[in-house]
Amino acid sequence: MNIITASHITKRYSVHTALDDVSVEIPRGSVYGLLGPNGAGKTTLIRTITRILLPDEGEICFDGRPIKQSDIYRIGYMPEERGLYRKMKVGDQALFLARLKGMSRHDALVALKEWFERFGISEWWNKRVDDLSKGMAQKVQFIVTVLHKPELLIFDEPFSGFDPINANILKEEILRLRNEGATVIFSTHNMSSVEEICDHITLINKSKNILSGKVDDIRRAHGGNIFSVQYKGESSLLTERVGAICEILESEPSNTSLSTLKVHIPRNEDIRSVVATINDTVELHQFAETIPSMNDIFIQAVRS
Amino acid sequence: MKNISLIIGREYRERVFKKSFLITTIMMPLLMILLGAAPTLIMEFVDSEMRNIWVVDESGVVAPQLHSDEEITFTVKEGDLASVLVASSQDEDNFGVLHIGKNIVTDPNAAHLYTTSSSSLVLEESIANQIEKVIETERLKAYNIENLDEILKDVKAEVHLATTRTDQGDDKASSTAVSSLIGMLLGFILYFFLAIYGSMVMQSVIDEKSSRILEVMVSTVKPFEMLMGKVLGVALVAATQVAVWGALIVLFSAVIIPAILPENILQGVQQVQAGGDIGTLAMQQDVSPEMLTAMSSLLDTGHIALMLGAVLLFFVGGFLLYASLYAAVGASVDQAQDAQQLTIPITIPIIAAFVVIMLIMKDPNSPIVFWCSMIPFTSPIVMVARIPSGIPVWEIIVSLVMLYATFVISMWGAAKIYKVGIFMHGSKPTFKDIWRWLRNG
Repeated sequence: MNIITASHITKRYSVHTALDDVSVEIPRGSVYGLLGPNGAGKTTLIRTITRILLPDEGEICFDGRPIKQSDIYRIGYMPEERGLYRKMKVGDQALFLARLKGMSRHDALVALKEWFERFGISEWWNKRVDDLSKGMAQKVQFIVTVLHKPELLIFDEPFSGFDPINANILKEEILRLRNEGATVIFSTHNMSSVEEICDHITLINKSKNILSGKVDDIRRAHGGNIFSVQYKGESSLLTERVGAICEILESEPSNTSLSTLKVHIPRNEDIRSVVATINDTVELHQFAETIPSMNDIFIQAVRS
Repeated sequence: MKNISLIIGREYRERVFKKSFLITTIMMPLLMILLGAAPTLIMEFVDSEMRNIWVVDESGVVAPQLHSDEEITFTVKEGDLASVLVASSQDEDNFGVLHIGKNIVTDPNAAHLYTTSSSSLVLEESIANQIEKVIETERLKAYNIENLDEILKDVKAEVHLATTRTDQGDDKASSTAVSSLIGMLLGFILYFFLAIYGSMVMQSVIDEKSSRILEVMVSTVKPFEMLMGKVLGVALVAATQVAVWGALIVLFSAVIIPAILPENILQGVQQVQAGGDIGTLAMQQDVSPEMLTAMSSLLDTGHIALMLGAVLLFFVGGFLLYASLYAAVGASVDQAQDAQQLTIPITIPIIAAFVVIMLIMKDPNSPIVFWCSMIPFTSPIVMVARIPSGIPVWEIIVSLVMLYATFVISMWGAAKIYKVGIFMHGSKPTFKDIWRWLRNG
């Protein structure tokens, strides 16, 4: 079941098209990554999902039916450019934003107290926002985003501006919320975080959806049968024998430690026979498929 | 609706519960009173020094008729000028010597003041006046007219032009000077309020935009609700301030003035309000008729409350109109400096209105004043300045209807600009850009 189905979304501005016939399906309970270079249209897609912008063409469905204004209470959204009223006190501000999301004053107070304790920031309640550091303000921002227990959480570049420790806390919180049943969408340039926490991704480039799917499937599909071999023994003999049945991409002989070899095995060739050939020639230490990193796939997809 | 009221509440609390609001609300009236009283206070301190002047009068006509007052004391000295001057320079208390020539009646330039320190214009004028009067009487005497003194006393007259409005039912005595002064004052206050509170709205939109809270907000609240909440919230703040001041003014006229006013004026005022004739009452109570009319209009609490009510309506309408325009500009730019060029079309009518209220003194019903009090962009300021002069009710109603109708249109347009503008960051927009947002919004 998809919580969000965006079909054929097009959004035009006067000078350029920000989204051109983009479709995405976001499964309930997933952590969904929106990837793409700067200016690709990620933020515009997020803004159409949060109903900040209305698409010129196409339709967004929430829970299988067209999205409506009241659905925004079921969405928590943290924009890329974090913003809080600078001159308000932290507690008043969090309460104000929570009530705008439809929470009662009492519920909001209880939930806020809990979150402030969890993050160890209870003593900030009466501080003014402009007395907080950027990282502190980000924590407050995160709390007000998730406070009303939305089913769908949308983070635009959540890790930018966080130090590694806080980024890690944030990552854990995102996974914890997912485990509690929320669906998480986030846009990012940080590819390692994608591999770590995303189940699904969509890669947007130049206003178009150029790649969508499960992270594992995508990486495997982009694998291209490349294997790396670590061995001890005669490297010239090995390259000669293996070179006869598959393409040698890289060979690094070493006299002191293990030598490495990177090969591309054609589809029609049996992997077992390649392994057998290697095994007959040298002392095999490791034979493993090289799955490309999301970073490689990202760069490759954007360039082509 | 719930969202708008939450936003109004935030905007209101943000401003009213601030020390600066409390201070300006209390300090402004005090400052006004101080400014009003300043000239009198300054006069009290200046020229209070007593000056002794010795007079050497060779004509023998002027000296006996010089009057000493609280500032100058004249002492007649015998002897020639040179010896008196020497004696004077030895007396520290003496300010100077006035020498009157022998032929002063035929030659008015034959008077000379010798001083030991710098004299003042006021002092010289007062001495010259006295001498002029003496010369005038002396010259008249030369015509040998019989009973001259009585004739002179008899021809003296002082005119007070009592004015009464006959077009307003209850033939009330009015003081044009007082009403146009009050009008000017109200006009100025409105001018400052529209300019200050209008740009307060603009600044607050710019702050929200540059602090990026807007995107957080519009993900839950419609931009129109944001805009409406802000404008109404700030309007409420301004109305609170005006209401506090209004209450102070009513209190002032109902309680404080009667308490400090001398008994005779107060009685006169009561009789005027009961329908008495100002001229005769002024004679009876021995006060100036101007004072009496001024005070009786200041003490007419009901009239003042009514006037303030109309002022409040124009103020709110004018504020809503200008605030929507200022908000649109605020939404279009990233920082206050960029707003300057875009606010020019907004400030022009405000300044024009400011200039026009100067003309009200001359004629509160001249065509330019009339039309400016009808055209919505200048009407809040100009009409408010005209109201104290007493104008037909239909003019006020027509002007109000047009003002509020224009506000609805401008709010609708501002919301469109706002909706697009709040997501525009980077380069400063031109009027052409804004026009496009207005059409596409």
